[in-house]
Amino acid sequence: MGFGDLKTPAGLKVLNDFLADKSYIEGYVPSQADIVVFDALSGVPSADLCHALRWYNHIKSYQKEKASLPGVKKPLGQYGPAGMEDTTVGVPAVKDEEEDDDIDLFGSDEEEEDEETKRIKEERLAAYNAKKSKKPALIAKSSILLDVKPWDDETDMAKLEQCVRSIQMDGLVWGQSKLVPVGYGIKKLQIACVVEDDKVGTDQLEELITAFEDYVQSMDVAAFNKI
Amino acid sequence: RLRLYCVPVSAKMALKELSSLEKCLGLKKPNKYSTQGEKKVPVLQNNQGSALVGLVTIASHLVCEAQRTELLGDSAEQRAVVQQWLEYRVTRLDGCSKDEVKVILKELNQYLEDKVYMAGNCFTLADALMYYGIHHIIMELAVEEKERYLNVTRWFDHIQHYPGVRHHLPPVVVLRNRVYPSSQH
Repeated sequence: MGFGDLKTPAGLKVLNDFLADKSYIEGYVPSQADIVVFDALSGVPSADLCHALRWYNHIKSYQKEKASLPGVKKPLGQYGPAGMEDTTVGVPAVKDEEEDDDIDLFGSDEEEEDEETKRIKEERLAAYNAKKSKKPALIAKSSILLDVKPWDDETDMAKLEQCVRSIQMDGLVWGQSKLVPVGYGIKKLQIACVVEDDKVGTDQLEELITAFEDYVQSMDVAAFNKI
Repeated sequence: RLRLYCVPVSAKMALKELSSLEKCLGLKKPNKYSTQGEKKVPVLQNNQGSALVGLVTIASHLVCEAQRTELLGDSAEQRAVVQQWLEYRVTRLDGCSKDEVKVILKELNQYLEDKVYMAGNCFTLADALMYYGIHHIIMELAVEEKERYLNVTRWFDHIQHYPGVRHHLPPVVVLRNRVYPSSQH
């Protein structure tokens, strides 16, 4: 996905070709997708890029209502023709692969909507001439995988897990857990949680978990992903 | 080669179009229409005994009935452009000959190069009636013709996806064949 670097002639050409048979970046109504791409351009496309120019002038006419256009902004690299290498910076972090185990505790990535569903959804969202739409309340969340290490191989891991799960906080939800051998008969507890970024931080979690000094030697963040 | 395009205007098609337009405008109570003459011009009889005659007249009346007058244009300039294309639909597009189709497509393709809609930056009655009127032509276009008149194809695909417009007409598949390089004017 992506148009390449839209501040270069090459990127603009990709955009121009992409828009030859489309009125909008996504679907059939102006959306946040158009605003993301519009904002990424450094200026008006030249006259020889007639499709990009047409699109640019059209989207410009929505400047006053751009905040209320339907859709949610995605990173620039996710728009555009399929098969293009995403050369934008700031692409969301790829999920870390665990070295120790094969089982994916967090399941698959967010599902991509197929074209048809996206179109129908956008058609429902757009009023005929009104550009209003409700803005969903976005709560920033992260999914965190914690490694909790005991003192030795005789530590009661069931008790340790109980202690960890007893930690209750607003904006914290515990997920699945498993015991992972780390050598010498010692097992670490790998436990997942989902936190609301505004309410829960990893520092806090570490403090609370390591407070169980009888069981917990240390805690590390094994993986951290924005949801 | 362009195939048979001048479909004889049938009463059924003319009335289906008005019915679709009513739905598009959100009018709950369907009107009863009749047609007159060889060309099957639509007629709307009102309660007072007088009649509205003609597609554009009736369509404009429906827009007012639905209180969607912005669909006729919301500035003097846009209103003029809308009228221009409504007139084009009835005088140039309807009942045109095979030779005229090529000219029309070329004109439209040039016109639509820098435009997303027929008039201004929003959907108007001009888009609806041009869409209904040109549908049978676009349906018959070969892939390379859709490519040749790319701006018309793009506008057509947009309008047929516009909420509430398509109704009685089957969707036309518009696939961009990447074998043909995009032609510059």
